[in-house]
Amino acid sequence: MKIKFTLGSLALIALVIFFVLSAALVAIIDSRVTNKLEGILWTIPAKIYARSLDIAEGSKVNKSYLIRELDMLSYSENENPSKPGEFRYQKNNLKIFLRGYDDQKSGLFDIFIEEGKVSKITNQLGISVDIIRLEPIAIGGMYPSHMEDRILLNWSQVPSILIDTILSIEDQNFFNHRGISLRSIFRAFFTNVKARDIEQGGSTITQQLAKNLFFTSEQTIKRKVMEAIAALLIEFHYSKEEILLAYINDVFLAQSGKRAIHGFGMGAQHFFGTSVANLEAEQVALLVGMLKGPSLYNPRRNPNNATSRRNLVLDILQKGRYIDSSLLEDYKSRPLGIVSPSFRSETKYPAFHDLVRLELRENYEDSELRTQGLKVQTNLDPVLQDSLEYNIKKTKNQLVKKYGDRLIELEGAAIAVDISTGEIKAVVGSSDPAKFGFNRSINAIRPIGSLVKPFIYLTALNKYDQYNLTTILDDSKLSIQSGGEIWEPNNFDKKFHGKIPLHVALWQSYNIASARLGLDLGYDSVQETFNKLGIVKSIERYPSLFIGSFEMSPFEAIQSYQVIAADGFYSPLRSIRDIKDLKGDIDLSYPYKIEQRIRPEPVHLLKFAMKQTFISGTARGYPRKKIDSWEAGGKTGTSDDQRDSWFVGFAGDLLVLVWLGFDDNRPTPLTGRSGALEVWKNFINDIQPSSIERNDFPRIKYIWTDKKDGLVSGEKCKNSLLVPFIIGTEPNTIPSVRSKCATKPKRNQSDVMQKLKKVFEEG
Amino acid sequence: MNNFRLIIFLSVVFVLLSCASNQNNKYITSDSISVEEFSSSVELLVSDINFLEDEIFKINAKNPSVQRILVNSDAYLKAGKLIQANSELERALRITKKEGAIYLRLAHLRLVQGLLDESKSFASRALLINEISSWERLLLNVYLKSST
Repeated sequence: MKIKFTLGSLALIALVIFFVLSAALVAIIDSRVTNKLEGILWTIPAKIYARSLDIAEGSKVNKSYLIRELDMLSYSENENPSKPGEFRYQKNNLKIFLRGYDDQKSGLFDIFIEEGKVSKITNQLGISVDIIRLEPIAIGGMYPSHMEDRILLNWSQVPSILIDTILSIEDQNFFNHRGISLRSIFRAFFTNVKARDIEQGGSTITQQLAKNLFFTSEQTIKRKVMEAIAALLIEFHYSKEEILLAYINDVFLAQSGKRAIHGFGMGAQHFFGTSVANLEAEQVALLVGMLKGPSLYNPRRNPNNATSRRNLVLDILQKGRYIDSSLLEDYKSRPLGIVSPSFRSETKYPAFHDLVRLELRENYEDSELRTQGLKVQTNLDPVLQDSLEYNIKKTKNQLVKKYGDRLIELEGAAIAVDISTGEIKAVVGSSDPAKFGFNRSINAIRPIGSLVKPFIYLTALNKYDQYNLTTILDDSKLSIQSGGEIWEPNNFDKKFHGKIPLHVALWQSYNIASARLGLDLGYDSVQETFNKLGIVKSIERYPSLFIGSFEMSPFEAIQSYQVIAADGFYSPLRSIRDIKDLKGDIDLSYPYKIEQRIRPEPVHLLKFAMKQTFISGTARGYPRKKIDSWEAGGKTGTSDDQRDSWFVGFAGDLLVLVWLGFDDNRPTPLTGRSGALEVWKNFINDIQPSSIERNDFPRIKYIWTDKKDGLVSGEKCKNSLLVPFIIGTEPNTIPSVRSKCATKPKRNQSDVMQKLKKVFEEG
Repeated sequence: MNNFRLIIFLSVVFVLLSCASNQNNKYITSDSISVEEFSSSVELLVSDINFLEDEIFKINAKNPSVQRILVNSDAYLKAGKLIQANSELERALRITKKEGAIYLRLAHLRLVQGLLDESKSFASRALLINEISSWERLLLNVYLKSST
């Protein structure tokens, strides 16, 4: 049978095919629309923030520190702070208009400061408030491969001025059309035909959203048709509010390096350092005006274009009566008010970012970090971080000047932590801290030199029935068999010092006395102390261990010293405080952990000797008043051939460790004192830690002893020093040469009671 | 006979010195108080966690801003929101580390969380603070006792 095709039947078939294909196309686009808008609409990178700063009545405050924090947050100084992000500092009063963050509402506050402490805080009504909180600085993100960055807004967070401006500029007829505006299309069509080019778009907000979500920016008839179908489908499935909110969250506003800034939430943060709720009318006008050409009207690159465009938008808003005509000229006269590029959520501190990433990856998949919009609040103190970065660079330059170009490749690492809580406040992994790459703070495993000595001395002091700070050590020539060879350690000054008290051997960092002490204590005892200090690896049983052949990373070393600085309480170092999900609920927290590893009294004795390092030892040079107010203590370290220069020291609440050396392990001209200590000093001088009160140690008693023989002495005797002892372990022999000036140690009640108890027990 | 007189004399001296020692808080150390030696109310503190919690909530901070945070923390603890309670306590610690009231609550919170060793460590840490009262010291010793 032959089928005859008439013209009519062919047309019918063609029509059917056309409809089938069209239906298929619509179905495909519909599926894409619903999938995209109902599934995960956008991939939202995890955002990483520094700590937020609380300013509380009664808390210590340092003016220059506070001003630096405000500067980093892009607060501007104004004689009369009247809008979020402005402050004025006069005499002892900081007037600040907070932007608001978390449970802290935006508003004007007065902070009164007396003698380095916040004496009073009042709000705009003059009512006293106990505590206010500054917003945290964004310090980085975990971006998806397309590097889109956005802060997702919900409908209640979108201010009406933003909606009015978008609709006035982009789509005045938005609430009346069904996705496509024929009037706009015809207007654009005739304009383009007339110009024989694509000069004008007739796209509604829905079409723009469809284009942004599904299509490229290519301007062809085919794409326009697809875009129109998608727009109709979007309007079919979603309410006008949902469409407008999607648009507000999705629009592209700027490119910042590799990062693409999307949405008005991120735009407000990126250009003005604030949330969208805090934007002024002229700032909204600028952001909306940028939609026409994000590059052309970028206020950082093209401020003149941006200003003209902003003012044009303001004119339109005034014509639409969205802003008062009396305010128009004021708005137009205002500067663009763009914050400095430092306030950007690009990854600013690579070494710290590394630590955060390591902690995060223990609990989160990479894809979760790049897409779920997690908010990571860290312990980073941006003022300390900037200072540590600045001072490691500054000190390197000083050292290059002093020692010449051979130090041009000198590398470094430094870490600052809160002693009690183990919070990591600042980390530097390179002498060029902004550079990504090898992070020496966690990855450089180097011999720690004399940094090991406090671990050996702590082992001894923990055996307080055998050792105290005046126990006499032998610093005479030592020669022993080790690994088939004769090992003969030397002191740094190439001298032998004979019989010396234990504390002197430590703060003078004598190698031979330390090696003998280690050998007397034995490897097992020393290993036990290492473990208590959080060192998990086993020691190698060579005597050179006792004077510094042991290798650690700066991070491992500072963890061990945290236990010492915190009087024997171990707290794991942590960079993250907590992680919140998109709704703001805590997803995971990293709480303060504490474990008493060593009794506080022996640690107190060790810290006394480490304080002497500042008073008379290898780190001398600070005024005594400072050392006392900070309860400072520290230790220098220099490895063989001066390949590594170390210093670790505590001052106030801070413990700071610095390492300097070459990556290829070649010798440097630096010791711990001439290298790493200089970085430490520059940093501490810059940030001036607050003074701290000393903890109470009821079992400790201070006695005047002689610096050479360690026996009882007196305040009026020469070479005497007030030394702490665990009660019952103090010396009581007064040599005849000091019988006139020595002070006989007073027996306190505990001594008497102990003896009485003994009598009863024995009786 | 002489020995007997000596023992009587020494006993009197010992009792007097003990009294003097108890009046001076500086000489009370973490391991110098045995909870069992105290009254039955202390025994109750050890055995009844709710009673203990009520006593902890009564310990105020000297610093008003810290006290405000402690009130928040107590509310979270009562509501069973332990993570939030901990966050508030850490916030208070960043203002000052010299308030026994914060460490007491941390010791208690860890006890509630079942982290007994940590509870004990927080109590031991607090006992190093100079200006805590005898009652605070006693409560801290309860946590040392509770954890063993």
